[in-house]
Amino acid sequence: MSDAKKETLVMEHLVSLRYEEELTPILERYVDALIDGRIVGHKCPQCGRVFVPGKGYCPMCVVETTERDEVEVADTGTVTGFTIITPVAYYGQEETEPFVYASVLLDGADSTLGGQDVVGIPHDQIHSGLRVRAVWRPKEKRSGNAVTNRGWGSVASVIDAFEPTGEPDMDRAKFEEHIF
Amino acid sequence: MSDVAVVGWAQTPSVRLARESEVQLLVPTVAQALARANLDRREIGFTCAGSCDYLTGGPFAFVSNLEAAGAWPPIAESHVEMDGAWAMYEAWVRLQHGDIDTALVFGSGKSSPSQPAEVWAQQLDPYYLAPLGVDPVSLAGIQARALLDAGKATERDFAEVAVRSRHNAVDNPNAQVKGDASVDALLAEPYVRAPLRKHDLPPISDGAVAVVLARGDRARQLCERPAWIRGLDHRIEVHQPGMRDLTASPSTTLAARKAGYDGGPLDVIELSATFSPQELILREALGLDAGANVNPSGGALAANPVMATGLIRIVEVAQRIASGAADRGLAHATGGQVLQHNLVCMLEGE
Repeated sequence: MSDAKKETLVMEHLVSLRYEEELTPILERYVDALIDGRIVGHKCPQCGRVFVPGKGYCPMCVVETTERDEVEVADTGTVTGFTIITPVAYYGQEETEPFVYASVLLDGADSTLGGQDVVGIPHDQIHSGLRVRAVWRPKEKRSGNAVTNRGWGSVASVIDAFEPTGEPDMDRAKFEEHIF
Repeated sequence: MSDVAVVGWAQTPSVRLARESEVQLLVPTVAQALARANLDRREIGFTCAGSCDYLTGGPFAFVSNLEAAGAWPPIAESHVEMDGAWAMYEAWVRLQHGDIDTALVFGSGKSSPSQPAEVWAQQLDPYYLAPLGVDPVSLAGIQARALLDAGKATERDFAEVAVRSRHNAVDNPNAQVKGDASVDALLAEPYVRAPLRKHDLPPISDGAVAVVLARGDRARQLCERPAWIRGLDHRIEVHQPGMRDLTASPSTTLAARKAGYDGGPLDVIELSATFSPQELILREALGLDAGANVNPSGGALAANPVMATGLIRIVEVAQRIASGAADRGLAHATGGQVLQHNLVCMLEGE
């Protein structure tokens, strides 16, 4: 082995890939309802679980669901899990201050909406079991922009954030299986 | 080696654009494949899927796809970022352990949301080729030019492959590009990338395919005439296309030999030739004569749901064996650029 210091070569390779698609028909209905102020999902005809948004099938029973299985759920719910993210300046990151990334189990739903902001409470007081309600945008400012076919639940173009309702915490046993 | 057979299968029609999600394409496809094998999903011993998150444009898209198999209660499963044919290879190896006797395999892809020329350029080495944005059509054009320069084929030969594919696809309800065309008319069309014309290129497709495998007597219980996998092998060549003879496919020749192909008669051959010149290269690599029954489904030029295309070749051969229309067949799948990685599956009836 030579003692000569080896040169480290670094090259940058910034990749940009474009994807364009319409929302699936199920998500189109979901967005239309959101703009109308309603949150809808699909209720499995076999097990009764409600998935928001609907997937077109129940992932537990693997049976297909359609708009005939559509049900409305509440805009109140429970924080199941959350992260306070301190942003690092990677390409495309627009956040500069620590922000909340919470999963909310809406009342009447059996799946969580991921990536939700929680406002009206200091970050260090956010906890699993916190009862929250949606902070809707004014109707004229709502759009489907934040909803995508490959999303994790963001509805930020319709619901800005969730805020505490002031109710006592949800009994842990009722949301435990949704903690990711 | 345990005898393993294809006992169930299903595929979606290939379409230019499916509005449904990739999982929605898979849910009924997996259900149909299981139903054909008279199996409940809870009886499956191992599940393996092939798909590409770059194609879908979402990290962990392959995890959602698993919902089509029913992953609760928890199942034993795996995923390959490869064509579903390689997922079947993994399932076949898993069945060789001998402790389980059924497996579910699926492959799926929606090419419609992406720009395939951008996505597949990322498959190349990140130093020399990917930054250039060399896309599959350009590389296939270089391959076609090499064939012409070597005197191994003419542009008319390419067009004849396309005409035969489209003609064969007429009877395939799952095919996307079909119909009768004349070689002269096709040759009058402009080049897309010289010397390739549009008919030499595959369509951009969305689609999915599923296969159920079973071992030994279990296969005979589940299927009247199982399509037995007599051999399955895959071989890969050097990544850098400039270091290969693009007019030949030695990895296909070797995979076929290792899979037990001895040059004997084949009733049906399905090749993943996604560009028309590649069918000529693969025919030579396999030593097929001019009368060989190649791509009766229309092949990849008629329908190319990337990540499912290779496994569809296996289904097309298996269903002809199961129906009694064929006794012995060969299916081929490919991965990478310009036939870099090739898989050969020998299938036979009893």
